[in-house]
Amino acid sequence: MRASPLRVYALAYLVFLYAPIVLLPLFAFNDSRVIAFPLSGFTTAWFGEMWADAQLHNALRNSLITSGSVAVLSTALGLFAARASTRFRFPGKAGAMGLIMLPLVLPEMIVAMSLLVVLLAVGVSLSIFTVILGHVLICTPFAVAILSSAFQSLDQSLEEAAYDLGETPLSTFRLVILPLVMPGIVASLLICFTVSLDEFIIAYFLAGSETLLSVYIYGQFRFPSKVPAIMALGTILVLLSISLLAIAEYFRRRGIARSGGTDTGGFL
Amino acid sequence: MTARPTMIEFRNVHKYYGDYHALRGIDATIRAGEFFSLLGPSGCGKTTLLRTIAGFEGIDRGAVLIDGRDVAGVPANRRPTNMVFQSYAIFPHLSVEQNVGFGLRRDPRSAADKARAVEEALEMVGLKGYGKRAAHALSGGQRQRVALARALILKPKVLLLDEPLSALDKKMREQMQVELIKLQRQVGITFILVTHDQEEALVMSDRIAVMFEGQIAQLADPETLYRRPATRQVADFIGTMNFIPCQVLSEDASGHEVEARGLGRVRLDPAQVPAPRGGDPVVGLRPETLTLLYPGQTAHDREVDGIIDEVIYFGDMTYYDVYLGGTDVEVRLSMRNVPGRPVLDVGTKVDVAWSPEALVLFR
Amino acid sequence: MAKSQGLARLGGSEGRSGLLLISPTLLYAVLLLAAPLGTVLLFSVFTDGRTPTGAKTVLAIPTVQNYVEVWTNQIYQRLMLRSLSVSMSVTLVTVVLAYPVAYFVSFHVAPSKKSLWLFLITIPFWTSYLIRVFLWKVILGYNGVVNSGLMSLGIISEPLTAINYNVQAMVMTLAHAYAPFAILPIFVALEKIDRSLIEAGQDLGESRFMTFVRVTLPLSMPGVIAAVLIVFIPTVGDYVTPDLIGGGKLPMIANVIELQMLKQNNKALGSAVAVSAMLLVALVTLAFLLVNRRFLKGGR
Repeated sequence: MRASPLRVYALAYLVFLYAPIVLLPLFAFNDSRVIAFPLSGFTTAWFGEMWADAQLHNALRNSLITSGSVAVLSTALGLFAARASTRFRFPGKAGAMGLIMLPLVLPEMIVAMSLLVVLLAVGVSLSIFTVILGHVLICTPFAVAILSSAFQSLDQSLEEAAYDLGETPLSTFRLVILPLVMPGIVASLLICFTVSLDEFIIAYFLAGSETLLSVYIYGQFRFPSKVPAIMALGTILVLLSISLLAIAEYFRRRGIARSGGTDTGGFL
Repeated sequence: MTARPTMIEFRNVHKYYGDYHALRGIDATIRAGEFFSLLGPSGCGKTTLLRTIAGFEGIDRGAVLIDGRDVAGVPANRRPTNMVFQSYAIFPHLSVEQNVGFGLRRDPRSAADKARAVEEALEMVGLKGYGKRAAHALSGGQRQRVALARALILKPKVLLLDEPLSALDKKMREQMQVELIKLQRQVGITFILVTHDQEEALVMSDRIAVMFEGQIAQLADPETLYRRPATRQVADFIGTMNFIPCQVLSEDASGHEVEARGLGRVRLDPAQVPAPRGGDPVVGLRPETLTLLYPGQTAHDREVDGIIDEVIYFGDMTYYDVYLGGTDVEVRLSMRNVPGRPVLDVGTKVDVAWSPEALVLFR
Repeated sequence: MAKSQGLARLGGSEGRSGLLLISPTLLYAVLLLAAPLGTVLLFSVFTDGRTPTGAKTVLAIPTVQNYVEVWTNQIYQRLMLRSLSVSMSVTLVTVVLAYPVAYFVSFHVAPSKKSLWLFLITIPFWTSYLIRVFLWKVILGYNGVVNSGLMSLGIISEPLTAINYNVQAMVMTLAHAYAPFAILPIFVALEKIDRSLIEAGQDLGESRFMTFVRVTLPLSMPGVIAAVLIVFIPTVGDYVTPDLIGGGKLPMIANVIELQMLKQNNKALGSAVAVSAMLLVALVTLAFLLVNRRFLKGGR
């Protein structure tokens, strides 16, 4: 544990990264409606207050439905695109992939507004469904990136070997490709779920009268008295995110171990 | 030699990748039960040709026949062939016995029968008891055996091997070469091997097709290829050969008379003169057909004097580069290091014995 | 080359299989991304007007008036400038601060621990962005954590005003939010560098620092460039931070787009703002890439 200046810097950087997040449990249990020092004492009242709000339950339910659907849909679309781009050559491939990955470099505002304009013009009413449409747009590039990487680390001759031994393309996919790509699929589902759950702009503008979790939180910001309850909610959300990520990481490592590959460190 | 029936036949096979002419009119037959090799440098088309048998590549002109049947349109998963891939393609998420038994999924036999077949296959390749191991935890040599077992358990008519030994280290490679020969004799089916290593092909094959640039330059057994190569390219690719410029003085039905620089005038049989391909005339001479005469030894046939220019010691052999007959023609000859044959120095004047029978004329 | 052809043999021509496979995703992107973007582009050259009943709508009358408004009106110019300058400051701060961390994990951490460090670094990214922005508001506010903490410790007697509701606060918030985005591409680029090149540099007489400057840094530039783009482009279009931290007084592009498109219902003008913003970002990005093109050519 040498204290080289670089190491000290890196650790200080981590402290900086986590500082705001650490405040969450700190003030979630603090017995005061004002978020300021000095601390006033321990209480769990804010958690109770947070959970008592019926609007929260509504928003939570909507968000789970939305993000769950988005995770599945994005991963499915991502599977098609990743498989097509890693195994086949076809005309217009670069353009098609460029379009599919474009949301990564577009500000969410632009995506949200363009989609809104068209939806209003066509007369589609805004709801969770329209939010799902928007979220799938921005989550699919993540799915494509993760799944492309998974497909690329597949030895191509594994598929040929399966054909050679008598399988059809479909059964080869089921018996050989799918099991080996499964860690990537799990990772894609978890990450798309997380991205969608956290997303604000599209949820704000395309949900119409329905509320999603991120919008609910945003709404609560206006009321200073609600702030401690938000701290409580935030604490729980952070714990949830960390757990999901830990699970994703666990599956990633297990997938590598089962296939005998080497750990190159991290999803991205 | 009793003629075996034909198993694979290529009739004027052509293949294009876009504009690139990968296979340029392949005509050949491979007999049932023989160990056949496709040999050539990278990019010559040997792997492509192998894959047309397996069904992973189609052809643009001509026909490929397996056991008398034209297989155009027959997909890879329905051909009576099985392949051992260069990377072995062992399914990493399955155990060894799951890998070996993979192709038996559609087999109507009972589970017990299938399990027994898997065990027999594993025993045949020397992996008895490895069934429950995770496939990804095996060494390269072990993986190759699993690939072999997996292919052979389906009792194909032809086993295709795509550079199976190139990923192994030297000792392992030599061991596997012998094992593959034994395995082929035991199983009795046609083996077709693709390799760029000419030593490997010579060791293992009954017959070899040497390929350059999409065409078969020569198809023959190892000894014929080595002693009577059909072209200079084949001669150069297989083993080492000295090429000595010469002039053709006369030719008739009983042979050719040439004047070789440094060696002198020599008469060649028609068997030593393959068809002309258009090039400056040279005679080819293998290093082991030249002998350094130590004091007291005499040549059985012809003799020429020379000066040693380079000595390369190899342990069991020494290679000498010698200028012949007072000319600037340099040849390499090899001598086995046995008692009574000390390693000579650079600059020593020597007598070199050679035989006209060992020459091949290329032009 | 040969192999993928061979596989496709089993399912028809390769091109057809590929197109068929990608069609669901592509169709989705065309319908929900390309078409709407095209619509916005179209609207930007149409005119805001009213229907016979008086409702606001976009009339199909071609005009460049919207663009003239956006590019000549001082309000918009200041807006674009602020957005650009905030984004550039954020990018600079973030990337410069991120590089040493990426370097540390790549060169000074044992390979078995690397994924742990990366995991720790990316966790904050996966927690709610909204909540993080709000936390910064809480931290930097007039009665916020920093001020109350410093006051209760007796270091200051009056709350600091230099840290709340201004551009510096926004820069800080955004730099925090996008930090992991910057670290990862730089890390990946540093990992790819052949370590023997660095040893060669030292072998040829350079000090460790100079080897870094002459060998490591240039070779890591593709990663730095990626980091710059990954941070710059989204921050230009950020909505939440200017809204919460800027207190509504320091809108950036996204806030004005909302204003025009929704609150004022001037869809044509709003579209022009959006398109102009994208154009500006694209130009800046291209200029940046051009300047650094020698780092992007070739590779190992």
